[in-house]
Amino acid sequence: MSDEPIYLDHAASALLDPQVAAAMCACLTDTVGYGNSTNFAHAYGRRAAAKIEAARAEVARLIGATAPSILFTSGATESDNLAVLGAGRANAARGLRHVITARTEHKAVLAACQQLEREGLTVTYLSPGADGQVLPGAVEAAWQADTGLVALMLVNNETGVRQDIAAIGALTRARGALLHVDAVQAVGHIPVDVDELGADLLALSAHKLHGPTGVGALYVRRTPRPALVPLQFGGGHEQGLRSGTLSVHQIVGLGEACRLAGTRLPGEPARQSALTERLWQQLRPLGGVARNGEGAPRAPHILSVTFAGVDGEALRFGLTGLAVSGGSSCASGSGEPSYVLRALGRSDVEAAATVRFSVGCTTTEADIDSAARQVAAEVGRLRALAPAGA
Amino acid sequence: MQDRERDLVRRLFEATPRAGRGGPGWVSGAARHPPSGSELRWHWLVTAGRIEAARYEVRGCPDLVAGAALAAELLEGQAAGLPRLEPRQLLSRLAAPTEKLGKFLLLQDAAEAAAIQFRSQRP
Repeated sequence: MSDEPIYLDHAASALLDPQVAAAMCACLTDTVGYGNSTNFAHAYGRRAAAKIEAARAEVARLIGATAPSILFTSGATESDNLAVLGAGRANAARGLRHVITARTEHKAVLAACQQLEREGLTVTYLSPGADGQVLPGAVEAAWQADTGLVALMLVNNETGVRQDIAAIGALTRARGALLHVDAVQAVGHIPVDVDELGADLLALSAHKLHGPTGVGALYVRRTPRPALVPLQFGGGHEQGLRSGTLSVHQIVGLGEACRLAGTRLPGEPARQSALTERLWQQLRPLGGVARNGEGAPRAPHILSVTFAGVDGEALRFGLTGLAVSGGSSCASGSGEPSYVLRALGRSDVEAAATVRFSVGCTTTEADIDSAARQVAAEVGRLRALAPAGA
Repeated sequence: MQDRERDLVRRLFEATPRAGRGGPGWVSGAARHPPSGSELRWHWLVTAGRIEAARYEVRGCPDLVAGAALAAELLEGQAAGLPRLEPRQLLSRLAAPTEKLGKFLLLQDAAEAAAIQFRSQRP
């Protein structure tokens, strides 16, 4: 029996799949070795290139894309930055200087939008409804004559709320603007098809789907091809959009994680949905609890719960047997109440008293039942400790 | 050293010695920190002008909960009309971050409220 806390923080970083680790280790320990994938002059380089192209095909397959539309990056932040800054700057050069995004986006998108504002572009930050959804009508209402880019996430990392990206994609397509989709919390958890979404650009990350940290990908539609200004310069790798020697073992890990996610997709979302629902049904009787994103479509692996009458930091501190986040893992580190939950109308106190539970492939019903018991006990203890009538 | 001092926070947070609501005839005083939702209420049993027993109700971060437990111990034996609590010293003993000082002032504010109630009840 392990003394380790039950890991319910897969949305922060899903535990590395042993098969992924094995594939990466095989790369690192292969006595034949791998060269620079851009050097086709010898077998070492060709072997590396073959591994990378196989991984590229796996990533593409998982999101209904073609292999040449996949660029490898260092992770989701770089992918989001390249999409937002790259497309925003290219658009600006053509006079399209307006960007639409939402206040509930990940900071990798929001900070990139703020950078575009410093460069003279204008950005509209849409507010979601109380259920966390950004409606297509809100995007339409924010539209300006020079709107060139819409950047919205498919699944929110804190609440798990799913946006109707396909409807928004139809709108951007009809109006000739680009759509960037941060799909980091969606890929591998729900079926994702770039054509169905109408995405021109789409970011994903390996470590959110049981792959390694430090590697991700950006989908860039081939036809019509969005114009992107690169963020880094050098040898012109990745179609000139992301210079730098590719890390074979990292990319192999991403490819294997995508392959495995594809094999799990038929059944795993339903299983994970049942797990998060099982947890919610055991927390509801505590009273004074609210599920964030209630009423909206949600991803199966995330359950965000606000607990009334307790201090969020104290609750998480007391849950020694669980590994969870407050709001998001990013928000947990800042000490600030989650801006996402505040955008949904939660007060600072409510936002701080929120716990995000996120399950993964290794999570079991026994884990969930144990987690529910621990949360119930700690919430009860903290509420009993609080001033009467508070 | 830092870890050992933080262990004190963990121990006090989990055991919450002296937590409770007191009883009839006890003196009480409360203070709140609305931005964080933190709240503290002292309950003192006062005998011959001295705090014989100090109990507390608290909602707040782990440091504040631990601080309440530590302060309760320090309050016992003090003059109820003029209790001495030094939030900075409590913060230091628990190795709590300095940004928690605002919440630790609740310990002092609530003690002052209880002292005022005690003084108002004296003949």
